[in-house]
Amino acid sequence: MIFMENKNPISPHIQIYSWHISSLVSIGHRITGVLNIIILTLISVWLASLLLGEVNYKIIYNFLNSFIGKFFVIASIWSFIFHSLSELRHLFWDMGYGFELKTANFTGALTIVLSIVFTILFYFLGRIII
Amino acid sequence: MVQISLPQNSKIQKGKYYKDKTGSKNLRKVNIYRWDPSTGENPRIDTYEVDMDNCPSKVLDLLNKIKNEIDPSIAYRRSCAHGVCGSCAMNMDGKNGLACTKAHSEIKGDINIYPLPHLKVLKDLIGDLSTLYKQYESVEPWLKNSSNKSDKENIQSKEDRAKLDGLYECIMCACCSTSCPSYWWNGDKYLGPAVLLQAYRWIIDSRDEDRKERLKKVADELKLYRCHTIMNCTNACPKGLNPAKAIASIKKMLATS
Repeated sequence: MIFMENKNPISPHIQIYSWHISSLVSIGHRITGVLNIIILTLISVWLASLLLGEVNYKIIYNFLNSFIGKFFVIASIWSFIFHSLSELRHLFWDMGYGFELKTANFTGALTIVLSIVFTILFYFLGRIII
Repeated sequence: MVQISLPQNSKIQKGKYYKDKTGSKNLRKVNIYRWDPSTGENPRIDTYEVDMDNCPSKVLDLLNKIKNEIDPSIAYRRSCAHGVCGSCAMNMDGKNGLACTKAHSEIKGDINIYPLPHLKVLKDLIGDLSTLYKQYESVEPWLKNSSNKSDKENIQSKEDRAKLDGLYECIMCACCSTSCPSYWWNGDKYLGPAVLLQAYRWIIDSRDEDRKERLKKVADELKLYRCHTIMNCTNACPKGLNPAKAIASIKKMLATS
């Protein structure tokens, strides 16, 4: 068996395994988690830079009103909302609820749909207030 | 470690094409992962054209037909053909399951058959499960009851017995463990859904006196908490069991005790 160890291939895994709603939401949860840390850091840097004067405010104001800036804002809102909704799902799991396959698939799909709906609502709500 | 791509010796090449010789009009293409340890070549995908008019309903029947009528060199495990033994677990159409209970009519398009994912391949569709069996042994899957020395039967209430439903039915086919990305990346340390479900089966047994020790043993960053509730295991289980729930129950017991 020892001489076989080096030459035996590993069977294909992520290359061939089909995606389920649950695995998509799971990887989404991780990616948005990392994104949220980056976004929060950027917002903190932005706030700190305000101490240095109005020029900085203008630069960021112009950036956020540009096309890329708007994309950044909407993507950030989505990232936060998706992660929060998914986290809510995890909290219910931690209490022992929602493990039936049908329930888990439903809440997974709900997480995706609601994250988009809430992002749109949140964005327009922000525009009305400001 | 997370390794997304396959190592050089595992890269899959194009294989042989077996054209239909029966003249049937109802043909399906079946792509099967092949690896022969005696050649030193990389694994390949062989494609078979199969006459579906004379083929019974399950994927295992399809494999048997290919082995009997087209290419006898193909290797796969099989035994009971009734979803009881768990030998013919493999990856069909991107999802793990038992070839003997999976109907090929459920698969659209070409039928792709691979061994269970992220295992050391021994030959063709046969993967090496010895790590999983060692991990199974490590949870000591037997009743530990030293105080009850009487000759009488060890009585369990109906409610306590009901706690084992959805656990004792596991046939250890490894469909769940090999569907789990966490097990792919950390299979040497993380116990995986199949073994954790078995661990829970003994933790929750009212007749077992070793619950505390069992919980202590399994409470480990790598052994247990690599489960991130991806739910691939529950999606894959051909017996309709719920390993994700069993793992969560262990986590909950640890958090509340």
